[in-house]
Amino acid sequence: MRYLVVIILLVSIVVNAVSEKFFNQVIIGNIVLAIKNVELLIDDINQANSTRIKIQFGNLVSSWKKVETTYLLGDLNEDYLDIPRYIDIFHGNNEEIRPQLDLIINSNDELFNAMYKYSHKTINALEYVLFTKDLSHQRVKNMALIIAKSIKSYLLEILDGYNIYQSKFLESEQYASAILLNTLIAGTYKLKEWRVGDVAGLSKKFKNKPNNYRAEYATSGNSVNAIKAILETQAQVINSLDYQDFGDISRQFKAGKEINQAISALNDSIVNANNMSEFDFINDKGKRLYRSTNRLMKAYYISLMNKLGFVSKVLDADGD
Amino acid sequence: MEINPFEYLMDPHRRIYWLFLLSSLMIAFVFLKFHPKQQRIVLSKKLWLHPSSLLDYSYFIFSVFFKIMIILPVIISTKEIALFVNIVLLNQYGFVRIEALSYTQVMALFTLILFILSDFTRYWLHRLLHFVPWLWAFHKVHHSAKVLNPLTFYRVHPIEFLLFGFRYSLSIGFVTGVFVFLFGSLVNSYDILGVNLFVFIFSLLGSNLRHSHIRLGFGNVIELFLISPLQHQIHHSKNHINTNFGGFLSVWDYLFGTLIFSKNVTNIKFGLEKTQMKNFQSLKDLLFFPFIVIYKQIKK
Repeated sequence: MRYLVVIILLVSIVVNAVSEKFFNQVIIGNIVLAIKNVELLIDDINQANSTRIKIQFGNLVSSWKKVETTYLLGDLNEDYLDIPRYIDIFHGNNEEIRPQLDLIINSNDELFNAMYKYSHKTINALEYVLFTKDLSHQRVKNMALIIAKSIKSYLLEILDGYNIYQSKFLESEQYASAILLNTLIAGTYKLKEWRVGDVAGLSKKFKNKPNNYRAEYATSGNSVNAIKAILETQAQVINSLDYQDFGDISRQFKAGKEINQAISALNDSIVNANNMSEFDFINDKGKRLYRSTNRLMKAYYISLMNKLGFVSKVLDADGD
Repeated sequence: MEINPFEYLMDPHRRIYWLFLLSSLMIAFVFLKFHPKQQRIVLSKKLWLHPSSLLDYSYFIFSVFFKIMIILPVIISTKEIALFVNIVLLNQYGFVRIEALSYTQVMALFTLILFILSDFTRYWLHRLLHFVPWLWAFHKVHHSAKVLNPLTFYRVHPIEFLLFGFRYSLSIGFVTGVFVFLFGSLVNSYDILGVNLFVFIFSLLGSNLRHSHIRLGFGNVIELFLISPLQHQIHHSKNHINTNFGGFLSVWDYLFGTLIFSKNVTNIKFGLEKTQMKNFQSLKDLLFFPFIVIYKQIKK
């Protein structure tokens, strides 16, 4: 019976959760914040303020992860499908960019021509340049500026895209909900498996081979920061106080207990992430985060299955 | 949970949903206009008050109760199977997301595959019920109907209900798990009143005439693809009991060599052999006789 209630509930949740207020506060709000952060970082690079640069890079990582966590634009228009890969190549590109960036730094080629690959202008490349190279060298500084400006231009493109396709997103609640849930599920899988499991030695690929340096932003020490941003954004979607979200609607349908299990997994993950430092992936703290994000992923999948009401409907026993 | 047999008339997931009954009635009305000779049988009191019909009615009331108790736990497992399949695939292949198909295409594909796979598994379970001796002992309950009416559809032993429930859970759960793995929450199906689009359409096309004395055939061409009411009536005939196992589609019968066209059969006698019919005269017989048969089979 409990499950039947959840089915009805979650169909309603998914149908009703996508509102204009949510779109503006979460999706647009986060992209605007990311643009602001990259602009500040560009200023800091121009001023060669290394302390500010390091702090501001962390802010950019955080706000970019927020954008990535609810990135729906590729579903609204496939022309925008690849933009996140132009900004971030974590698990999206097998090439080793560090030797390539070293070559570029040490060469005399025009930077515009030398940095011809998308991967040379990603946030991963920026991290390497900002945290391992000397920005007092003009060529390194120019590289950092090219990368940061490239990231800014893609972020602006994303903002434009959202403004253009906002109506498309809002006109079909069913579709909007589906792509939103898909984004949450994909993000949670990548969080659990790539950002935590691979590092902690808990994923299939790196079973029993933990290595802190496998973390997403190991060079700058922003990996936990990125994870926190991802989880905080998920909280914006399912557990916000500012607007009607998934959790609120579930309570309206008197199935708060069930939806709270998903929120509980998310809250546990946030607590676990907040208790972690960059070097905790390989100890029990990493394991705890892996387990709670795994619970969160399963909770999302259960939500998805429940959305499919027919899964739980038995037709007449059709023996004939 | 409220148990009310009349709710079956209001539930589109039921064979005897009022709209499906009405559509069958209308088809029957037109059919009888053109075949007046059959009116005498179809409208006779003897048919509707035949002991076999009366047993169908009482068994239907009983089945509403046991389905609540037996089928409900199976409902839950459909989702569990889908989740299990999805997690197994995730563990085996990692995260996969096919983005080549649009939302509409995914929905159309999912709706169609659900229908086809469901009909396919239905064919095979039905066939197994005829060919595996201990399963046949249970399925004979359904074939023991001497006359047919729409409620004969529910004259099915609880074990058979359970098997069909598992069939549903496994097939729907498996397909859903695979689709969710490949397409995530883009998975959805086209439905009418919550019923799979194809199931709804085919249910409208005289599904309640399958268990009736309206001898409506579709002609050889259509009967290659769709089971007509008359083809199913032939399946209930003593002499052709191992043919026409199909649910909605007859292509399975065609592919696996069990198809008979309605035009090829003229003499239809419903029920089992006389010696067996005496064992299915009451509610108690329908419920317990299969177990006695199986016990005797084991003892041998």
